[in-house]
Amino acid sequence: MEQALPDPERRLQPAPLEPLGHPDAGLESAVGEEAEGARDEGPGDGSMMENNFWLKKIEISVSEAEKRTGRNAMNMQETYTAYLIETRSVEHIDGQSVLTDSLWRRYSEFELLRNYLLVYYPHIVVPPLPEKRAEFVWHKLSADNMDPDFVERRRIGLENFLLRVASHPILCRDKIFYLFLTQEGNWKETVNETGFQLKADSRLKALNATFRVKNPDKRFTELKHYSDELQSVISHLLRVRARVADRLYGVYKVHGNYGRVFSEWSAIEKEMGDGLQSAGHHMDVYASSIDDILEDEEHYADQLKEYLFYAEALRAVCRKHELMQYDLEMAAQDLASKKQQCEELATGTVRTFSLKGMTTKLFGQETPEQREARIKVLEEQINEGEQQLKSKNQEGREFVKNAWADIERFKEQKNHDLKEALISYAVMQISMCKKGIQVWTNAKECFSKM
Amino acid sequence: MSGGPPKALPSTGPQSLRDMPHPLAGSSSEEAVGGDSTPSPDLLTARSFGDKDLILPNGGTPAGPASPASSSSLLNRLQLDDDIDGETRDLFVTVDDPKKHVCTMETYITYRITTKSTRVEFDLPEYSVRRRYQDFDWLRNKLEESQPTHLIPPLPEKFVVKGVVDRFSEEFVETRRKALDKFLKRITDHPVLSFNEHFNVFLTAKDLNAHKKQGMALLTRVGESVKHVTGGYKLRSRPLEFAAIGEYLDTFALKLGTIDRIAQRIIKEEIEYLVELREYGPVYSTWSALEGELAEPLEGVSACIGNCSTALEELTEDMTEDFLPVLREYILYSDCMKSVLKKRDQVQAEYEAKLEAVALRKEERPKVPANVEKCQDRMECFNADLKADMERWQNSKRQDFRQLLMGMADKNIQYYEKEEESVSRWASKMPSVTANSLLLVKRKPPQFAATFLGTAASKVFISNY
Repeated sequence: MEQALPDPERRLQPAPLEPLGHPDAGLESAVGEEAEGARDEGPGDGSMMENNFWLKKIEISVSEAEKRTGRNAMNMQETYTAYLIETRSVEHIDGQSVLTDSLWRRYSEFELLRNYLLVYYPHIVVPPLPEKRAEFVWHKLSADNMDPDFVERRRIGLENFLLRVASHPILCRDKIFYLFLTQEGNWKETVNETGFQLKADSRLKALNATFRVKNPDKRFTELKHYSDELQSVISHLLRVRARVADRLYGVYKVHGNYGRVFSEWSAIEKEMGDGLQSAGHHMDVYASSIDDILEDEEHYADQLKEYLFYAEALRAVCRKHELMQYDLEMAAQDLASKKQQCEELATGTVRTFSLKGMTTKLFGQETPEQREARIKVLEEQINEGEQQLKSKNQEGREFVKNAWADIERFKEQKNHDLKEALISYAVMQISMCKKGIQVWTNAKECFSKM
Repeated sequence: MSGGPPKALPSTGPQSLRDMPHPLAGSSSEEAVGGDSTPSPDLLTARSFGDKDLILPNGGTPAGPASPASSSSLLNRLQLDDDIDGETRDLFVTVDDPKKHVCTMETYITYRITTKSTRVEFDLPEYSVRRRYQDFDWLRNKLEESQPTHLIPPLPEKFVVKGVVDRFSEEFVETRRKALDKFLKRITDHPVLSFNEHFNVFLTAKDLNAHKKQGMALLTRVGESVKHVTGGYKLRSRPLEFAAIGEYLDTFALKLGTIDRIAQRIIKEEIEYLVELREYGPVYSTWSALEGELAEPLEGVSACIGNCSTALEELTEDMTEDFLPVLREYILYSDCMKSVLKKRDQVQAEYEAKLEAVALRKEERPKVPANVEKCQDRMECFNADLKADMERWQNSKRQDFRQLLMGMADKNIQYYEKEEESVSRWASKMPSVTANSLLLVKRKPPQFAATFLGTAASKVFISNY
């Protein structure tokens, strides 16, 4: 039976163990008061620090990426990228940071960590990883996993993931997460020892529950629809954006041809020559400016992608609720049927179809002793069932309460982050316009001197 | 071309030829210009398309190329006038007001030609007549015949591939009108051509067809004789300045052709970009419908993209209508120049051949016969006229291209200004954002943060607006 709440032994013991962090651990101290998750413990100001038993802030960064070759499980040579994770603790008095841990991890280990978190914190909207393979690429971008630009963007995405986990009020306390940051060797074995894979819900079971659950909490049903639509709209957006980028690239690059032809033309002109030549140079500048512009825009796309993947995390929480609810309904149904059986046996009326009833009819009545025995068994089962139902109900309610709290936190985070993403996108557009105006103004001046 | 379907001119409707007064019998030629107060009945019903154009006010107007009245282009036009002729202008010609005429036999467009002049060659100070393309063609042929030593400006292409371009669409007619206007203005600016009698007739005659039937009036001596020059003479050596310009024109035409292709390609790419933008914007609207707090910002982004699309569409239309035609006209102009240069070569060759023939005859008194002298005259006349025209052409070219390219730069600047304004307006509605909350800065590791902050600092932050 899977657990709705995290296994107590997986949670980090409070201080004296290495303090893992403050809910806004991981953010550059320069950034100060900005924090990603809403804290459900209290206001997000300095007073947190004194009340909290976490003593130090930590900073996490994924600072480097390196190509490695090694042997995989089948003893075949493979090439992969490893990422350097550095953890610094910050003395909150003077702001100095000291490197406390530094280790290398590859993408599959991040996946392992996340899968573990998904199993042990099913009521949390677990932050997503950056995409495994490059998708929504526009033609100039490489879809190759080894491409340096892709690796760089993935590095940033992995850092983002760690920061999000570290700043989550509940996830940040997980021991496995802590070990991920601090224990290089043996970590994989430690995770696997938790046996979390066994505890994971089977896909088939979850799918079955989704179809057959009768009475899920309406909020979760609505949330599921929302996440489906969000996923669909952001996918569409990313696809079109990639095409827009492609086209914009074409427009800018063709202007580069003006550079060449103006230069050639200026060679046969006397008074017009200088003006044409220098205008041509500005056209070259214009054409080459698009590369940086579109590189910046990729960051916007990455921010959208994060929330595209977050939609899946939302759905996972809804699925868990449906599974639990279905389980509850099945248990209640089972209990009701057992009660009925018991009643029938006690009163001798047969209303429900049972094998025993059939065999009794075919092979003769059972003895009163046999019947008593059966009733007793059933009564025991009923008792057990009622206990289980009670605890399931309680678990269900706990889950709904905790999950919904995290969902509210997530909603705040999403609104904040996406607003900021849109604003930074706008800033990029304005910057692009200013560059365009500058270049054409320069060109115009050259033309005026023709 | 641009998105919408080409607009067709409304026509006068079919009428029997007998009932309709001839549209070219410009009835208003006697009146003061300032409005077609009593145009012939058929013209009244046709809708005028002069609205977009600069309607010239009474009294002196600059004879620069007709272009949208942006302040910079206005300035350019004034500069043009100061540069071309030192003297005060005394002749102004404009082409405007295209109208469609539907007759039994054919459908065609006429343009109103308005002339204002203080020259004695004109009986009246002002004239207003209607002309169609074939009248312009007639004029050009007459000018070529009567002024063979001069460079005659080009006309826009005569033939249009039917089915590909709608020759009655608003865009096509407007493009042609501008080119015809330019044609007449070039003649107006020419110190010799502008006094040509055919030009005068073209501008003033009520019934041009009657004049056409009369045949040629006085021809200059040079004109007559040049008409009969046949080809086939081989040129010994071309004077330096003509050789140079010949080479120049070859390269020039090539470069213009390349620029034309580049400009077309840019327009094509911009239109494809526009298509994608038109799909991009609405997705934000769809998203907005799903959200609560984010609904307004997302809807705002959608609107911004919509504004950007509109601005881009205007840019492509402007480039198609104003930039490309002028480029093409210059290619035609270069061709005109080249053919005049060829004619000049022929005249020189003829003279040289005749001279050589005389030298070979070994007469006792080697006296240059009269006809050879005539040839020499012809050649020297041609050289002088052409040289002057070449200089004029070079100046014109310089002015025109300066204006054309500055116009192109202007349109691009305007496009970016419109986009910037739209995005800034959206951003100013967002609650104030501090520099710190640029997520991008947070995500990058320390060694990159510095570089990024460098570029971020050059970006304008919304809170400063």
